[in-house]
Amino acid sequence: MTDNATANQAHSRRIDLRLLAVLAALCLIGVAIGTPDVAVAADATALLRVAFDNWRAKSSETTLTMTIHRPSWERHLTMTAWTHGDNEALVRFTAPAKDAGNATLKLRNQTWIYNPKLNQVVKLPASMLAQSWMGSDFSYNDLSKAEDVLTEYTHKIIDTATSGGHTVYTIEAIPKPGAPVVWGKQEAKVRDDGIFVEEIFFDQDMKPVRKMTTDKIAPLGGRAYPVVLTMRPTNKPGQWTRINTTSGKFNIALPAYIFTQSNLQNPRD
Amino acid sequence: MLFATAWRNLWRQPTRTGLSLLSMAFAAALLVFMLSFQLGVYDTMKANALRIFDGFAQIQPPGYADDPDVRKTIAAPDQLASRATEIAGVTAAAPRATSYVILANGELSYGAAIEGVEPDQERHVSTLAATVHQGRYLRQDDADAIVLGDALARNLKVSLGDNVTLLGSAIDGTIAADSLKLVGIFHTGINQLDRQIAEMPLGRFRQTFAMGDKANVIALAGPTLAAVNAALPALASLARTKGLTVEDWGVLQPALKQAITLDFSTSMLWYVSLVVVVVFIILNTLLMSVLERTREFGMLLAIGMRSGLIGRMLWIELVLLAVIGNAIGIAIGAAFALWFGQYGIAFGAIEGLMAQWGLPGRLYPTLSLTSALAGPVVIVLSVAFAGLIPFRRIRRLEPVVAMGVA
Repeated sequence: MTDNATANQAHSRRIDLRLLAVLAALCLIGVAIGTPDVAVAADATALLRVAFDNWRAKSSETTLTMTIHRPSWERHLTMTAWTHGDNEALVRFTAPAKDAGNATLKLRNQTWIYNPKLNQVVKLPASMLAQSWMGSDFSYNDLSKAEDVLTEYTHKIIDTATSGGHTVYTIEAIPKPGAPVVWGKQEAKVRDDGIFVEEIFFDQDMKPVRKMTTDKIAPLGGRAYPVVLTMRPTNKPGQWTRINTTSGKFNIALPAYIFTQSNLQNPRD
Repeated sequence: MLFATAWRNLWRQPTRTGLSLLSMAFAAALLVFMLSFQLGVYDTMKANALRIFDGFAQIQPPGYADDPDVRKTIAAPDQLASRATEIAGVTAAAPRATSYVILANGELSYGAAIEGVEPDQERHVSTLAATVHQGRYLRQDDADAIVLGDALARNLKVSLGDNVTLLGSAIDGTIAADSLKLVGIFHTGINQLDRQIAEMPLGRFRQTFAMGDKANVIALAGPTLAAVNAALPALASLARTKGLTVEDWGVLQPALKQAITLDFSTSMLWYVSLVVVVVFIILNTLLMSVLERTREFGMLLAIGMRSGLIGRMLWIELVLLAVIGNAIGIAIGAAFALWFGQYGIAFGAIEGLMAQWGLPGRLYPTLSLTSALAGPVVIVLSVAFAGLIPFRRIRRLEPVVAMGVA
């Protein structure tokens, strides 16, 4: 009993929504993982798939820091994120103390939020999906609809360039007719080894709304990985959110209980 | 002399004059009444829609109207609010804070706009407090209380005394989380408000959202919308000293403004057609009478009256006709407008539709100088202008030939 309570406390301090956002962002960007020279044929969809797989692998456990920058202030948050496949993700904030304990759980297209102060799990209403996640430049949509770009869009390579010994493909993703998506268009730059380099999000008027760039690619968990990502809204100069993946393990066995509401509220480990 | 002749000429044909007067009086009365009714309804729509929640105007941080962000704040709002009420035409000013949050009850959760309000000031700006039909409105000494629209309360399946969980984003970037007790449920009849709005005490809002002593907007009220509109320049210069802006009713209720503009331009078409038809009828009568009176004009020419003078006489006849006809029309239209302004016109059948705009089931025309004069003045001017046409005809008349006409 005592053990349990202590564990709970420790855990609840670690939940943070921001992690989820970061994860989501990472997913979108499609971080690269080390299978360089996947000999990706110039098939846009396959290329994106590889990028996604490289980024998240079959499963992952990563530690990230998020910097939210505004013209007048800046915050730093730390989180741990777990993912399994495309449909399961859990993010827990661990620092600073004010944010520690908050957590977000994504199961398929549903999202739950845990707040330690309320000690309560709240399901995210659909109308809130577009809201900022933990005050960052990511939204809940980035988490819950991360893989939409793969499944709900059609893909076309519109440009090929060479940079740093790699071929970089620019993939244009247009929503399938009637697809319930957020963006009018996405444009992703993916390296031939399956690392997202850049992603631009367009609104329904085809105007760029925000841009995510990979600022640093480094080895992580045995693969090349986009460890630093920055999201910038185009209409708000001086405002950005940066996600830095500090450690990561991929293709590890994760117990099924991790992605449950009860674990969201009362972390077990 | 010319005037007296014209006057006498008019009554040589009492039936025709009477009919012309009647048609003009009818058109003028219709215009006066319709315009009074329409403007009156617009006033009611604006006042009712604004009074429920927005206020007649708001002091806001720049850019807030386009992108209402809880981080765009007004410093020292109480001081600014009391200075705003010193301006003539402004009777109340209520600081508010707003954020879009998740409200939850157990498994159920909905997005809603939570408003932090000062209950005492709020009552003077918004009639929302009076629409609370279950429980009570917020009180100044409330700490963790919340009031919800009835649709929102139904969606969340909460009743009085239940806890409502609030989850949002605080100004400092952390999560704003709070648990509040439902003390009242309101029903404004406006879907958007009943489904989307929740109110809590401003003090608690400031704690939850790490807001210090700031606010997002200051909602203003006055005896009438017109009074507050007249105070806008003074309010704007007050706001400017703090780097803030004042937004008028059109910005607060853009959909209403568009609806009114659209409605008014459609009815404008009707009014213009009415004026055109009346003017043509009068002109037709005039031309007929000129034709009929050719003999008379020939004789006048023969005894030495200039054709220009005859034309002027005719024109005076016409303008007299128009002025008298419209005066009668204004009297009738105004009488109707005043009478219905007193007792209202019931619109029971489409009450639900009108509730969307915050309109009651009974509407009242408002007689104003504009609504009384705009239509008739246009008719008189158009008739006066059209009355220039017969001049040409009279100038062509030859006395001998004209007198020979049967």
